[in-house]
Amino acid sequence: MIRKEAIGLIAKRLGNSPIVSANGFISRDLFELCDKPSNFYMIGSMGLSSSIGLGIALKNPRKKVYIFDGDGNILMNLGSLTTIGTKKPKNLFHIVFDNGVHESTGGQPSNSMDIQIDAIAKASNYTVFRTSAAKKLQPILDKTKKIKGPILLLIKVEKSDNVSARVIWEPRIIKTRFMKSLNSSLKC
Amino acid sequence: MNKKTQRQIFDYLEDNGVTDFLGVPDSTMKYFIDQGLKKKKILIATREEEAIGIATGMYLAKGLPLVFMQNAGFANSLSTIASLVQLYQIPIIFFIGWRGFHKNDAPEHIKVGKIQPELLKALGLRAKTISEENWKKCCDWALLNAKKSIPCALIIRREFVD
Repeated sequence: MIRKEAIGLIAKRLGNSPIVSANGFISRDLFELCDKPSNFYMIGSMGLSSSIGLGIALKNPRKKVYIFDGDGNILMNLGSLTTIGTKKPKNLFHIVFDNGVHESTGGQPSNSMDIQIDAIAKASNYTVFRTSAAKKLQPILDKTKKIKGPILLLIKVEKSDNVSARVIWEPRIIKTRFMKSLNSSLKC
Repeated sequence: MNKKTQRQIFDYLEDNGVTDFLGVPDSTMKYFIDQGLKKKKILIATREEEAIGIATGMYLAKGLPLVFMQNAGFANSLSTIASLVQLYQIPIIFFIGWRGFHKNDAPEHIKVGKIQPELLKALGLRAKTISEENWKKCCDWALLNAKKSIPCALIIRREFVD
């Protein structure tokens, strides 16, 4: 399974739940497959999707907040796992699409293949899941419905040459439509 | 800045709309942070950029966050301020301790302290340096900026050497 396939399988099941997606190809995949006002696409500021997701989750404890992160991204902000693990937001669902490379910049290694991101998350008070199989995604998502966060799902994906379209929305538009979507319904 | 004023600044900002206080500690403002810790209103992040990310999320969820840091951490955060805070127009109030303001400060603070005003200028981040006399006016100015969706900074000078 490549990242784009995994992103599509998950995103289409999330309805209008807020998703904070990491910069680079992750946001581009999400935009191309499933563009919605409830997606907060990051353009730049690599590493911070999990932090933005934490801020939203803390202020909306009854709303489930999804983070679409990458291996290179989370390795750049590992401290975020410890802050999330300290605040323990029950509504935070952190998904890491791990292809072992910085695909957006030309496929250089991220070093994630030699360490266990899920083990670091577990030591930081997350409940963790790991898979590389497309058919396991739905059962894992079902299972997590009964589990309190913070949850981390590490999805091992294959490298790919596929390049999705750039997000067409300007950052200020991404922000305003996301805020409108987030604050229009308190539950989802 | 004295103990009592730092505590008053925290209370004033809290009473006037700041919903969340987070960042990386700095000794220049330790009583400000202590006032927040006493009220269980402080979130300590591992790095300044992480704090800016969390504050961004809080703003998206209708909060009005303040991020505190030392100027060394502000220098770390330049790219995040440009490519997240300013690009998306996230009205965070920055509260920045200015090490290296005093010429006899510790050696690691001299260079960054010296270029601190130029960094603010280059970034185009609105800022005011607060004192015992003008702090209330500066806080009102920062709150007004935040309400207009403009990020800005309040600078607190380190006026002593220990």
